[in-house]
Amino acid sequence: MAQRLLLRRFLASVVSRKFSQGWGPPLTSQALQTPRGLTVTPNPARTIYTTRISLTTFNIQDGPDFQDRVVNSETPVVVDFHAQWCGPCKILGPRLEKMVAKQHGKVVMAKVDIDDNTDLAIEYEVSAVPTVLAMKNGDVVDKFVGIKDEDQLEAFLKKLIG
Amino acid sequence: MAAMAAALRGLGGRFRWRMPAVAGGVRGAAQGAVAAQLGRKVAVVDYVEPSPRGTRWGLGGTCVNVGCIPKKLMHQAALLGGLIRDAPHYGWEVAQPVPHDWRKMAEAVQNHVKSLNWGHRVQLHDRKVKYFNVKAGFVDKHTVRGVAKGGKEILLSADHIVIATGGRPRYPAHIEGALEYGITSDDIFWLKESPGKTLVVGASYVALECAGFLTGIGLDVTVMMRSIPLRGFDQQMSSLVTEHMASHGTRFLRGCTPSQVRRLLDGQLQVTWEDHTTGKEGTGTFNTVLWAVGRVPDTRSLNLEKAGVDTSPNTQKILVDSREATSVPHIYAIGDVVEGRPELTPTAVMAGRLLAQRLFGGSSDLMDYDKVPTTVFTPLEYGCVGLSEEEAVARHGQEHVEVYHAHYKPLEFTVPGRDASQCYVKMVCLREPPQPVLGLHFLGPNAGEVTQGFALGIKCGASYVQVMQTVGIHPTCSEEVVKLRISKRSGLDPTVTGCG
Repeated sequence: MAQRLLLRRFLASVVSRKFSQGWGPPLTSQALQTPRGLTVTPNPARTIYTTRISLTTFNIQDGPDFQDRVVNSETPVVVDFHAQWCGPCKILGPRLEKMVAKQHGKVVMAKVDIDDNTDLAIEYEVSAVPTVLAMKNGDVVDKFVGIKDEDQLEAFLKKLIG
Repeated sequence: MAAMAAALRGLGGRFRWRMPAVAGGVRGAAQGAVAAQLGRKVAVVDYVEPSPRGTRWGLGGTCVNVGCIPKKLMHQAALLGGLIRDAPHYGWEVAQPVPHDWRKMAEAVQNHVKSLNWGHRVQLHDRKVKYFNVKAGFVDKHTVRGVAKGGKEILLSADHIVIATGGRPRYPAHIEGALEYGITSDDIFWLKESPGKTLVVGASYVALECAGFLTGIGLDVTVMMRSIPLRGFDQQMSSLVTEHMASHGTRFLRGCTPSQVRRLLDGQLQVTWEDHTTGKEGTGTFNTVLWAVGRVPDTRSLNLEKAGVDTSPNTQKILVDSREATSVPHIYAIGDVVEGRPELTPTAVMAGRLLAQRLFGGSSDLMDYDKVPTTVFTPLEYGCVGLSEEEAVARHGQEHVEVYHAHYKPLEFTVPGRDASQCYVKMVCLREPPQPVLGLHFLGPNAGEVTQGFALGIKCGASYVQVMQTVGIHPTCSEEVVKLRISKRSGLDPTVTGCG
C-alpha cells in the first residue's frame, strides 16, 4: 500500500513537473511498473498537447480501476459518467476534456461508460447522463447533470482545484 | 450488497426474498417497484434470450425494446414523410422527393430505447429492488434457480413469485427456410441497415404496423395474409385499415401462404407461395422476409412443472384466476404470458400494480379487463374501445343494437388534397334508451389520442344521449364522435359535410 502511494506520488510529480516547469532536466528513463502492470516511461519527445490529453483524461475499465485512479488519486478528478446512446454526452465530453487539459494537470478526468460500468454508476447514484462528479481524496465534493458551456466548466474546475 | 457478493464468490448463494418477480418486463418491473414501496424485499430476474438472428436487448421487456416504443417512433418517422409531402401545399419550399436514411432513424430509436433500459435499471435501484440478469427456472414452487455469467448459480426462494415473462414471435418452423432466412419484430427495430424490399407475412397488428411504417419511409413492401386482417378486431374497421394501406403503396397478397424461402446467389431471398384462391403457385424476390404470424408465451425454460403451475394445453399460456393467481396459490402471472388476457402493456402494468396492492397493501381491488381501449398504429390509425359491431350483435342480437357512423374529412387533409376515403368513425350502442355505448371505433389521424378520452366516458357507462350532449371541440377529428347522428339502420349517407 505504501509502495503504491509512493508510486502515485512519483507519477503525480512527473505530471506536475512536466507542466509547471516545462521540459526540465530529463527524468529517470527507468520504466515504472504501476500496480496494474501499465508501463509508464516519461517521454519528453512527445508533443505537449497530445501528451496532456492522454495523461489528463482516461477511460475507466472497471470498479478496481476506478478505485485506483479516482478514489485513490492524489490529484482531484472529474468523473464524466456517459453513455453511447446519449446525445448531450457527445457534446459535453470533448468540451470537458478540453477545459480539463487547460488546467495544467491540476485536475484529471475519468470517463465512465455507464453501460460497461453499471454497478459503479448505480453506486454513485447516476440517473441521467451526462453526470459529472468532482472528486477530491475519494469524496464527491461537487456534481452537475447535463450540458454546461466552457465558462461554467471553467468555474466548476477552478472550484474543485481550490 | 453482501448477499450479492456471496453469490459471486461461492457456488450457491442462497437468498431469502419476500417476493421475486420473474422477468423484468414492463409489468414485472412495475409490480416489483410497487411491492418494494410497500416495504417488501423484492428481486427481479430478467433475461433476454437472443433471437435466432442474434438480436438482444436490455431491461424493460417487449414494449420498451421490440414493441410499442420503437414501433411508435418508426411510425412517426413514416408519418413525417407524409407531412413533408404535404408541406409544399402549405407554403413550405421543400424540394421533393426527400430521401430517408434508415441508419439515422434506427440509431436514434435504438439510443432512446437504451436510455429507457437505463431508466428501468435506475428505478429498480431507487426502489431497492434487487436485479438479477440471469435465465431462471423453477426448482420447486418456492425456489427459482438461475445461472449467471461465469456459470455461478443463484438460488432465490420466496414467499410469493410473479411470472411476467411475456411472449416471443412465432417462427413458422414448418416453412422451409423460415428460421434461417426470415426475421421477426424482435429484429426489425435493431437492424443497422435498411431491410430494403420487404415481404411481411401475417395479418396481425404487428404485421400491418410494420408494413405500414416500412412503406411510409419509402420501401417496397408486400403483405402476405392467409385470410382476414386483424383477427379479433372489428372487421369493417380492419378492412378500411388495409384498404388505406393498399391505396398508399403497400402491396397485398391475400389468401396466400408461403411454402419456401431460399437464398439466391446475390443474397436476395426468393419466396414461394400458394395462392388459395387460384390454386396457383407464386414466387417473388425480396431483401427481407418478416414473419408476423403470432406470438408464443415465453415459458419453455421456466420448468413450470417443477412448481406445479398449469398452462393451457392449446396455447401453453399460464392459467390464472381473477386475482392473477396460478394453480399454485402463492405463484402469480401477469401480462402476455397469461391465457385469456389482452396482450397490452397498460393492462399488464395495472394488473401488476393491483396485485402488489392486494398482497401487501391491504386492497381487494381486482383488475378489470372490460372496456380496455387500444390503438393500431397503421398509417391511418385505428383506435377502439369496447365491443366490435359483430361482437355486440352476437351478444345482444341485431334488433337490440344501434350503430351510428360517419365518414369525415380531417381539415388538415383538405389543403394538400389527401385522400380521406377511409376516415370513418362508428359508435355501437344498445338500442333501448338511454342507449349505453358498447363500443367506439375511430379510424383517422391521432386515433390513440382521440380514443383515450372517450375510453373514460365509456368506462363510466356513457350513453348515446350523454355523448350527444357533449359539445365538440372545433375543428378536430375527435368532435366527429359527439356529432354522430346517422345510424346504419336508417340507410342514410353517413358522409359529413360542412360544419353541421
